[in-house]
Amino acid sequence: MSTNLAYAQPQPLRRPSERPAHIEIVTTRAQRKARPRMLYAVVTVASFFVILAAQLLLSIVVTQGAYQIDSLQYEQKVLMRTEQSLLESLSLQSSSQNLAAQAAGLGMVPNATPYSLDITDGSVFRLPGSADPTGCGGSCGLVGNTLLSGIPLVSAESAAAAATAAKSPVAATPGAATPGGAAATAGTAAPEPSNNAIPAPVTR
Amino acid sequence: MKARSTRARVSFVVLTIAVLTAVFMVRLVDLQIVQAEALNAEADTKRTLTRVTHGTRGDIVDTRGAVLADSVERFDIVISPRVTLLRKDASVVVLEDLKKITEIIGGDPNQMLTMILENPESDFEYLAKSITLEQYQAVDDLDISWLYYELNPERTYPNGEIAGNLVGFIGTDGPQAGVELTADECLAGTDVEASYARGEDGVALPGSAVETLSPDDGGTIALSIDRDLQFYVQQRMAQTAESLGATWATGVVMRVSDAHLLAVSDWPTVDPNNVNLADRGALGSRAFSTPYEPGSTVKALTAASLIDAGVANQRTQVVSPYALELANGGGIISDSFYHEDQRLTLAGALVESSNTAIAQYTDLLDAASRHDYLAKFGLGQATGIGFNGESSGTLYDAADWDARTNYAVQFGQGLSTTSIQMASAYQALGNGGVRLPPVLVESCTRPDGTVTDIPSTEGTRVISEAAAEQTLQMMEMVYSSSGSAPNLAIPGYRVAVKSGTAQVAENGSYGGNVVISYAGLAPADDPEYIVIATAGIPDSIYSGAIASTFRDIMAQTLTTYRVTPSSTSGPDLPLRW
Repeated sequence: MSTNLAYAQPQPLRRPSERPAHIEIVTTRAQRKARPRMLYAVVTVASFFVILAAQLLLSIVVTQGAYQIDSLQYEQKVLMRTEQSLLESLSLQSSSQNLAAQAAGLGMVPNATPYSLDITDGSVFRLPGSADPTGCGGSCGLVGNTLLSGIPLVSAESAAAAATAAKSPVAATPGAATPGGAAATAGTAAPEPSNNAIPAPVTR
Repeated sequence: MKARSTRARVSFVVLTIAVLTAVFMVRLVDLQIVQAEALNAEADTKRTLTRVTHGTRGDIVDTRGAVLADSVERFDIVISPRVTLLRKDASVVVLEDLKKITEIIGGDPNQMLTMILENPESDFEYLAKSITLEQYQAVDDLDISWLYYELNPERTYPNGEIAGNLVGFIGTDGPQAGVELTADECLAGTDVEASYARGEDGVALPGSAVETLSPDDGGTIALSIDRDLQFYVQQRMAQTAESLGATWATGVVMRVSDAHLLAVSDWPTVDPNNVNLADRGALGSRAFSTPYEPGSTVKALTAASLIDAGVANQRTQVVSPYALELANGGGIISDSFYHEDQRLTLAGALVESSNTAIAQYTDLLDAASRHDYLAKFGLGQATGIGFNGESSGTLYDAADWDARTNYAVQFGQGLSTTSIQMASAYQALGNGGVRLPPVLVESCTRPDGTVTDIPSTEGTRVISEAAAEQTLQMMEMVYSSSGSAPNLAIPGYRVAVKSGTAQVAENGSYGGNVVISYAGLAPADDPEYIVIATAGIPDSIYSGAIASTFRDIMAQTLTTYRVTPSSTSGPDLPLRW
């Protein structure tokens, strides 16, 4: 394809009769020889498209990030709520009234003759202990807690069932929750002591 | 001709363009400058979303970190009955949904439906309030389109009545009582609003946050209270009050070395989770707010003052009759039991708790000095804790004491104190004569870790160390030799104690009602803890009825803190001559 159009002799403008061109710009030989460099055009246009594409990609990434931030923030919120809900339940379970009532329910009594060991000189001394005139070990409901109304007392059977279920996952079937199921699982799947645990004395 | 028409055409076009440009310019200026602000604001409301983030109110914890007051998230279910009823067969479909909801959150579906049908034009009604996170998640999983949820931060008190009177509670208008009220500045969180431009699906457009601030959570208040000891003291005081038929009872445990209050029990008490169940009179803390005439527990302070002033010692002798005619014309005072004349030492006067003996010792020191001693023990002054509704008690100026009050104040009538003030006065006896300001709030820890509200530890010397020691020795004689000694015994420990039985003034005169108390320190050879057990208006008018309560609380305190038994035996002071 010829490119001589760009270098065609300038045509006289309008009304050549009225205003004849006195001066003509004549391209030099060197200028005529100078061909436009295709490379520059290609690079320029390509860069332009590359920039556009990059900008588009960045925009997509940023937008994607916004969705990711949004979903992560939501996840964080849900997790924080769950954590808080569990902490709430924990502080309620660990309230003095609940512990006292659960302990009494399991047949525990305050130690009337506690001893203490003084580690600085190794001496053992007897402490006065906890007096309990009513004999209910803090579970008489003298110090109330309305939040505890929905929390059931742990019975010895259900505690044993829970312990068995926790130790042998195989036996953790829905049936283990019932006393009969607990007895059955306790008979068939005796809990095996783990190897790295400190052996604890069996106390009755 | 042709040229002119061309020129006219050109002029016309140019003119038209100029006019149009001018019109557009005016409009542009109008939009961009004149109306810009209003339009921007309108646009913002259409595309931005304002989100309020709640600053969480701080926890109140005990000295070991056990949570006494906790902020939790609850949700309100909000509906628009108008929108709800747009559905086809609304009353049938909605009732089906309501049944599913009430299976989770409880309540009567028919009642809810009635509420919806009664407000058909309303756009805002509460369907349920304060449901828990689990309930919220379960209801949300039902995917019922006409439910909206509002976050509703609430307060719970996982330990119920334990320290309920101290912690206080929050009403609909904010904190109402106790530490919740007095430490509100530390506890309160700050809510923050942040605006975002949002996309159609509600997701914030990147970089469009107008302002992002993180909400300020409240600080954590640590009390000096020890929850487990507090639990025991409250139980024991409740048992005592019920068995004695008392109207009220308070029990206070204080550590001698730093005057921290480890237990402050009030009976009757309040469960901050359900304030409506409590008596109106039990909403505050009686130990702080309600002074009473303490009676003979003040005799220990009188003895300490006299010894410190150098006008008496443990063996100073008087003859104590049953009834004594006061020399200044103040009438006759008598002891609580009839007895023949007793030849008592100062130690003996404390053991027998003899009013007639103390009245005679009173004459050894002038009224102004005695008043100053009582004032330095903290009577008649605020403790500095600043508890909500705290009373300073009453200690009149010495010049205002009438002839009888001049003597009566020295055995604890004619002045009034709170249980906390008495504990604080005894703390001076145990701390070598230096009284430290009592402490209930140990610190406020902000979320960024800065710790503020550290209580002052600046003490004031009330009496000399020697006077304090001698007073404790005399109080040990009460522990070992008084009529209630068998009920006070804690084997292995030396205890310094004083009983109090004070008549209660009603309508200007003393009637048959009394306040009984035991106050003491252990171990007496190196005092670590103060216990004061007090019962108001019991059926029994003898302080001995509360001696075993004092002993049990002291025993529990010594056990809780693993206090080593006394290595020496108690003193053997002469009580009579």
